[in-house]
Formats: sequence, C-alpha cells, structure tokens
Amino acid sequence: MALKPTQCARRSFLYRELENSGARFEELNGSAIAINYGDAEGETAQARKLGICDLSSLQRTGFKGWNMADWLRLQGVVLAEESNITSPQTDGTRVARLAPGEALVLGDYQGGGALIEKLDSTWSMESADGCYQVPRAETNFWLALTGTEAPALFTKICAVDLRDQATSVHSVVQTNVARLNAIIIRGGTAEVPVFDLLSDIASAVYLWRALLDAMGEFGGKPIGLKALQDLT
Amino acid sequence: MKQMQCPLNGWRNIQEFAHGGEVVDEPDPNRCTDAEWAEYIFMEDNKAGLVKEWWCHVATAYWFIAERDTVKDEIVRTYDPSELFKERRDYTRPEALEGKS
Repeated sequence: MALKPTQCARRSFLYRELENSGARFEELNGSAIAINYGDAEGETAQARKLGICDLSSLQRTGFKGWNMADWLRLQGVVLAEESNITSPQTDGTRVARLAPGEALVLGDYQGGGALIEKLDSTWSMESADGCYQVPRAETNFWLALTGTEAPALFTKICAVDLRDQATSVHSVVQTNVARLNAIIIRGGTAEVPVFDLLSDIASAVYLWRALLDAMGEFGGKPIGLKALQDLT
Repeated sequence: MKQMQCPLNGWRNIQEFAHGGEVVDEPDPNRCTDAEWAEYIFMEDNKAGLVKEWWCHVATAYWFIAERDTVKDEIVRTYDPSELFKERRDYTRPEALEGKS
C-alpha cells in the first residue's frame, strides 16, 4: 500500500500540495518525501530541462552571532572568508556564509547530515558564547529548481541575474523571489544548474503555486527526490 | 528602477530596501532633557544636500549607512555601520531609579 504523509511522524510543509500533484512518497529520516510523481524515467529528463523539487524534509540548520565563524571552524567546518559563498564539506554537507556573522548548513540530497547532527548536539548557549543556533529546519522550507531553463524562470520572478554568465556554482544570492525574501544557492554543474531556494514556511504554499504557475510556459513540472539525486 | 549598492549583497533594486532615518548622535538618555530626547527620537533635519541615513536590505535584515545627495537625488556611498560605530554601547540604569522597580 502506498505510503501517505500522514502516516509519518514528520511531513513537509507542502505535503498537501505534493499529494495534489500526484506525488508518491517514501520515508526518509522519519519524514515522508516525494520520491517521484509516477514517471521515474521521464522525471530525470524533466530535471535537466526544468523541475521543482521539495526538499523540506532534508536536514539543515544555521548559526549566527559575532563568534559564529570561530565556533564553526573549531568544529572542523570549512567556511568561506567572503559572504555569499558556499563551501562544500567532505561529507557532502554544504555551508553557506550569509554574512560575516551568519551561516546556513544544508545536508546532502541523499538525506544525510552527520555534520548537522554533530553541530546541533555540540552547540549549547554556555559552550558557544557569541554563536547562536538558527532553527532553519523549523522556520524555512527548502525547494530545488533544476535544469537549463531555471535561469529563464528566475528572470520572471527575481530581479537578480542568475544566468551562467552572472552566477557561478556555489554562489549565494539573498533577494526577493515573487515578493518573498529568499536565499538562493547555485549548485548543480556548469551544464545543468540546480538552485536551492529557502524561504519562510508561512509562505510555502504560496511560493510553490507561484513557481508552478511561472514555470508553466517553459514546460516545468514537479520532480521527485530520485530525479534530483540522479542529476547531481 | 533605481538601484542601490548594498555593502553585503551588491547592487539591488531599491524596492528591496527600507529607509531607517538620519544617522544622528544619541544623547545620553540619563542626562539629556525630555526636549532633547524628543528631538532625537522624532525630528528629522530634512536637509537639502548631502545626508547620512540608515538603510536596511530587507531580504537579509542587514542595516547599513548610505550617504545621499537629496538635491541631485544621487546615492554617493554606502558602507557597513562598523565604520562609524566601533564600540559596543551599554546602557546604565539612572541613579535616580536605583532601588525602585
């Protein structure tokens, strides 16, 4: 019998929208994640063109404060000197420096996040003076926009140029997307970009629908996590 | 559309920013008169010419300082507040209130 999101202890903020789009769910880290939408092979090709994938069930966290950089480096994290640059870690986790005193930590697309678990369990108010936890998993939803048409989609809803000539892999852009404050991280490869997008959970359904509407003219569709894993 | 250079995020459309008023020296809240405090809180010089103002890049909640020419309608320079504010400012409880809750 097919897994329903309501059978899992945790679910994405968007699970009703995903169900409406025909998602098939699998359990990952105790959460229901849309693994595909019934066309596993077609979705891999769709991901190369233009796809939207909900990653809200994957692991993430954040830290801020004047002592953020020193504390993270003490834990063995590789952190960029400049703001708005992402540093890949050896275990597949990525750490995006949002400001001199703020960082965002994203787990990999397989559901892993050993570094995130270590950071969250090591951190305490007493031991990390001047470095404070930001509960990104509870406050931000996480989408991936994939494919060669994704930069064209962003020209409709975002004022910052995200085409290849303006944005390199691992760069971070913090701006307005469809009138919402959002963090965009350029990932993927030089040939096929993947843009991670994080924004406030209160507007998750609004942005999901706005993006589906905006990507219609480019043939964009929802894709499952499997297609994203195959792509990267 | 007008654009402004955010010291943290680079050039962005002006609609991503919020204006936060003039940069003015704060009087000592324990020693200044009510009139001086009201002047600091509520009044703007609204000068024609070069002004120094607080601006916020809303998407990142990042506050910075912009110098603007209000006659030419030009943004001259933007920079991080640490250029002007180099030390933390702590507030002490006025002696007159000691012992009162």
